[in-house]
Amino acid sequence: MKRRTILLSALGAGSALLVGWGVAPPRSRLGSADSMLPTQGSVGLNGWIKIGEDGSVALAMPRSEMGQGVHTALAMLAAEELDIPLDKVRLEQAGPDAMYGNVAAVLAFLPFHPKQTEEGQRSATVKTAQWLTAKVGRELGLIMTGGSSSVADAWEPVRLAAASARASLAQAAAAQWQVPVGELVFKQGKISHASGKEGHFGEFAAASAKLNPGNVSPKARKDWTLIGSPAPRMDLWAKSSGSATFGLDVRLPNMVFAAVRLCPMIGGSVQSVDSAAALALPGVLKVIPLKPSHGASAGLAVVGKTTWHARQGAQALQVQWAQRPQGALDTTQAAEQLQAQLAKEEGYTFHERGTPAASQDTLSATYSAPYLGHMTMEPMNCTAWLQDGKLSVWAPAQVPEAAREAAAKAAGLPLAKVEIHITLLGGGFGRRLEVDYVVLAAQVAMALPGQPVQLTWSREEDSAHDFFRPMHVAQLQASHDGQGQVQSLQIKSAGDSISPRWMERVLPAFAGPFDAPDKTDSEGLFDLPYGFAHQKMAHVATKVGIPVGFWRSVGHSHNAFFSESFIDELAAKAGTNPLAFRQQWLQDAPRHLAVLNLAAEKAQWGKTLPEGQAQGIALHESFGSIVAQVARVSLEGGTLRVHEVFCAIDCGTVVNPAIVAQQMEGSVVFALSAALWGQVDIVQGEVQQRNFHQHHVVGMAHAPQVHTYIVPSERTPAGVGEPGVPPLAPAVANAVFALNGQRLRSLPLKA
Amino acid sequence: MQLQINGQRTHADAAPDMPLLWVLRDQLNLTGTKFGCGIAACGACTVHVDGQAVRSCVTPVSAVQGKDIRTIESLGSAEHPHALQQAWIAEQVPQCGYCQSGMLMAAAALLARTPHPTDADIDAAMSNICRCGTYQRVRAAIHRAANSPMPSPSSSATKSASSSTASPASGSAA
Repeated sequence: MKRRTILLSALGAGSALLVGWGVAPPRSRLGSADSMLPTQGSVGLNGWIKIGEDGSVALAMPRSEMGQGVHTALAMLAAEELDIPLDKVRLEQAGPDAMYGNVAAVLAFLPFHPKQTEEGQRSATVKTAQWLTAKVGRELGLIMTGGSSSVADAWEPVRLAAASARASLAQAAAAQWQVPVGELVFKQGKISHASGKEGHFGEFAAASAKLNPGNVSPKARKDWTLIGSPAPRMDLWAKSSGSATFGLDVRLPNMVFAAVRLCPMIGGSVQSVDSAAALALPGVLKVIPLKPSHGASAGLAVVGKTTWHARQGAQALQVQWAQRPQGALDTTQAAEQLQAQLAKEEGYTFHERGTPAASQDTLSATYSAPYLGHMTMEPMNCTAWLQDGKLSVWAPAQVPEAAREAAAKAAGLPLAKVEIHITLLGGGFGRRLEVDYVVLAAQVAMALPGQPVQLTWSREEDSAHDFFRPMHVAQLQASHDGQGQVQSLQIKSAGDSISPRWMERVLPAFAGPFDAPDKTDSEGLFDLPYGFAHQKMAHVATKVGIPVGFWRSVGHSHNAFFSESFIDELAAKAGTNPLAFRQQWLQDAPRHLAVLNLAAEKAQWGKTLPEGQAQGIALHESFGSIVAQVARVSLEGGTLRVHEVFCAIDCGTVVNPAIVAQQMEGSVVFALSAALWGQVDIVQGEVQQRNFHQHHVVGMAHAPQVHTYIVPSERTPAGVGEPGVPPLAPAVANAVFALNGQRLRSLPLKA
Repeated sequence: MQLQINGQRTHADAAPDMPLLWVLRDQLNLTGTKFGCGIAACGACTVHVDGQAVRSCVTPVSAVQGKDIRTIESLGSAEHPHALQQAWIAEQVPQCGYCQSGMLMAAAALLARTPHPTDADIDAAMSNICRCGTYQRVRAAIHRAANSPMPSPSSSATKSASSSTASPASGSAA
């Protein structure tokens, strides 16, 4: 067993390890110049920064851009330290070095209540756990974009790398000009001295590479000029002119195109195929059987002159499919199984505080959420080319190294013979944390030696072969004392765990022999900020078997609906205004209270609204950030409309407030699609919602106006891409209750 | 087959029923026009045919022979961006960016026939899907472009405005 496998098993065994990567020394992630691709005339100064002959700056980019603005945000960190204009930073895909691994994302998998990880509140056990886990995280070197962790993870290493590069350049310039380092001025990518001397970085790069920058610190907060500014994203023109390159836009010489026809019954197989009709079509070149692995379904690929020819061929295939041997998967049965296990089993306790006293005065409710698909605008696709025994892969992936390893495995090639190029992602939302689409393209390329091939899934295949947000049910119960005050809150939920299934598919070498408790099952339930004296939150991990994956904000996405709707129920029972009730129970959670109050104030909570409209409020912490939303809704002719959302966020130090606002707006729309219509039904193993006419999403006419307000903070940056999602559904459902007294306890909302 | 694309006569080796989308993307390497659904439901593949916004994934190439086909690649250049592209940048519209070519082409066709659209006009004309949720910025950018003093440089968007009929505005503003 490899060393890192042992480390991970230890970690997965449920040891109480923790979040927050503050203790991992960023200096160990500076890397060396060899970590970056050597290019003609360029000089690498460390693993992140390379200086071109012309003075340009290249930044190693290990994170994938899927709309969340991470390319711009990380470039801003480097540009700030070097005092160069943002548009002068060139991004270069980072290599496979473990130093680029996402330590913050790995740490966030571990189940801790946020209160235990607050600075100044950490026990010796927690500190030890942090240190150990950070070590494990670095050892793993999992290069991944997910968990709203990119800025938090890059915050120290990228700033330190750029500051170190600056220090070396300054030393070299000072030596060459025979002036004190302290007299040099860095501005707009130039180094200058009052004596009139001036030069660009390229002139000092070679000399500075030989110098040791010593013990460097990033700029003080007061000296920032770029961090915290609404700098325009670096990709605006490319994405406003059709010139941005997504996976589907890769074009190679003499490329052919392929389409997939996968077994419509999840987990099923190919019994027999008649390819004659397909091969008889003009432009159809080849039919290739596809082996299931890494979560990919069994099926066939059809290669054609264009994607259209391939699609025609795929439709013309005559295939006999077989159900999976364990029997057909079915969402109705899944719901029954979850309810049965929830009633019968105790589950794993994620959080317990105090002991609930017996009470006659209780309130209980059962909530549920369905399976959900990702529906990225860019359907799954991957391009691959086998040349002289070497496989090149172009993929819009969130996990480049896992994708490369999976491609090598599928191709039967040593890892060193496989290279991967990460394109822009036309949406990710967690779907591209998978490697199934890469594995299939690798198989197709292996059957076409010397020929580049682009494998594109139809929307129907993309919808049917997703890794869905798991269905979850939860039973929530509160007891009250004689005065009607909440005494205890107990929550038990049930649903399939994502992390162990994902490990099996994406990091099979690290998958454990048994399922450790998965924090994502209970996140958003066990980690609530409210000060109820007695709390117990447990989760029953089921194994329905429908493929489940990470869906933007993961467990929080449905658990916040359960918990924040129930908090609203408790407020109603107490006869208290939902805002006042939350304020009352947040006396020991000042950050949460500040966010809640900001949203309420901006929304003018409680103001008189037009007839037929009401406000609802919800508050939720996820990925280190706290978000409160006030939704203004109406029910016009029975149709639920969300008109406006006031959104307040505390995400620690803000790198780019414009991107934060974009993410809040996008999160609201993404969450609203799910809240109003999101549902995937599987009948006899087959997904019923296959394209946008069956899987409705919010469009222009239904998109609410979102107003974003940021709570100023000097804490370490936290997540932005996901935390705006969880509070939306409960805010809307709570508004419906305020409007007509109807309590909606299942998603999608049927008002 | 001869096609008139972005002002140039172009030869395409395509069967009559082949959708325009795949001719553009896979034969002519005009990849700015995107594939999203294949059933005209999402609008990522929107192009202009004689100034009208058309969903190219369901438009057989035979139906556009002899017509003026315009794609995102001809909307504007970095030196001479379309008023909408300027507005898109000013409002910081794109996130992942995948749907934005279609959004821009739909918006350009809208402005060509309705130079000062109301929110209801925008709701009715802009049925493109964006999973990143850029809608409120798309709306703001369309209003900004409509109010910008700069004339639209796109010949396609203005040319056949007279031939189109205004869509009934039935949507309601958020």
